Amino acid sequence: MNWLKKDFNIMTWVLIPVAIAINVAIGQIVVLLRLPLYLDSIGTVLVGAVCGPMAGLLTGMLSNIIWGLAIDPNALPWFPVAGVIGLVAGLCANAGLFKSWWKVVVTGFLIALGAVVSGTPISVYLYGGITASGSAFITAFLLQTGQDIVSAVLSTNFLIEPIDKISTALLAFAILQGLSQRFVARFPRPENVTAEKGQNRTQLFIAVGVVIVLVLLAAFVVVRILG
Amino acid sequence: MVVSSGKMHPMHERLSLYIHRESVLHRLNPLTKLTLTFALILIAYLSPWYWTGSMLIAVVIAPLSFVGRVQREYAWAALRLLAPATGFIFVMQSFFLPGGQTELFRFAFLRLTSETLAQGYLTAIRIFVMVSAFILFLLTTHPSALMTDLTRRGLPSQLAYVIVSTLQIIPQMESKAQTIIAAQRSRGLDTEGTFLKRVRALVPLVGPLVFGSLVEVEERAIAIEARGFTSPRPKTFLHELPDTRTDKIIRWGLVFLVLLTLGANAWLS
Repeated sequence: MNWLKKDFNIMTWVLIPVAIAINVAIGQIVVLLRLPLYLDSIGTVLVGAVCGPMAGLLTGMLSNIIWGLAIDPNALPWFPVAGVIGLVAGLCANAGLFKSWWKVVVTGFLIALGAVVSGTPISVYLYGGITASGSAFITAFLLQTGQDIVSAVLSTNFLIEPIDKISTALLAFAILQGLSQRFVARFPRPENVTAEKGQNRTQLFIAVGVVIVLVLLAAFVVVRILG
Repeated sequence: MVVSSGKMHPMHERLSLYIHRESVLHRLNPLTKLTLTFALILIAYLSPWYWTGSMLIAVVIAPLSFVGRVQREYAWAALRLLAPATGFIFVMQSFFLPGGQTELFRFAFLRLTSETLAQGYLTAIRIFVMVSAFILFLLTTHPSALMTDLTRRGLPSQLAYVIVSTLQIIPQMESKAQTIIAAQRSRGLDTEGTFLKRVRALVPLVGPLVFGSLVEVEERAIAIEARGFTSPRPKTFLHELPDTRTDKIIRWGLVFLVLLTLGANAWLS
């Protein structure tokens, strides 16, 4: 339990509310810019990376609970998904997957996997498979092609989540690289996010390339399922 | 930014649905109302009887909004937050869920059956119960009162701090975001152009907002540390919340009702 106490130092407790507010504010900017993403868990990923998986879990869950309690109660049932996002981000960062652009892409993909796996039961059991978001149209289409509810929801989420979560992880990484080392060092796990030597633009381009390949792969998988 | 923000940020700037009125519902202990909320949700989802959810809304939740004297706010919140979402779910599920037998209506790829109609209504009404029970709870319970009561019952005070201070920070952050958007627009940032332009606008908007608020974190940490935030000694409370016998009776009654529903569910299936 000692590491848990170390992860929850005073900087963590103060960062969590700010991280939740970042989630909300960026989520709303994205809506304003009419981008086809959510990007509403950048703060959660940030906390997971620099304060450990348990802090990430807590930030994610509280983020949706508070969002649900204060702004839109429809967000409330999804709090386990948000928690898993922070947890996976923290675990990946502990494993050293938050230190360069391409590793962050892997982290983003793993976060998306976690979100899909934890979100599907909620979607199926609480909402009967079709939720109140735009992606419901994809699910409805897949149901029409004769798929059962669970696989229709799974493939819908597989189509949407990776792009969103990889962008989220990349933005969180960019933010961390922009902060001074002296500031980051006050959090419990600064070693998780220190960038490796030899960072350059080529790596960023490789990372973006990997994202594009992943998107194409996802599209291919979906076409296969439909075909 | 100073943490003891009583003067800087009066109550009304805090993010919450709470409406201050005098009523029986407002005077109940926050934990009692929280128990009521979760009991309503559990009963709606566990009950084996098809019409339970609709009955709960008609007989419990809607009348309670009159008891709490927040009926207008409740109706407005339900209309604004709930009706679009549940309506959408109801329509989509009625038309697209697989497995219906009795066809009622067919047009091109749209197929309405009485089974999917019943299933869609059930899901929509359950979600309606879930969300509107929370709306009623939030309309009649001040977030600080809830946190004080839960801390007194053993919730770590750090968690209470996180929740209450988040409710203060979000409105500040939103107004800061509005300022940044206006400032960048006045410098010619295109926030309404083509897709690529809008993606590019993300960085100059998100950057100042995030870095600005993260810098405050350190100041805040020093400020609350100086006020004994991490002190292990027991803390005293500024406001005492009453927890009457009636509260306790209501809570145990609700627990009993949930168990009864669970029993009925197990018995009938």
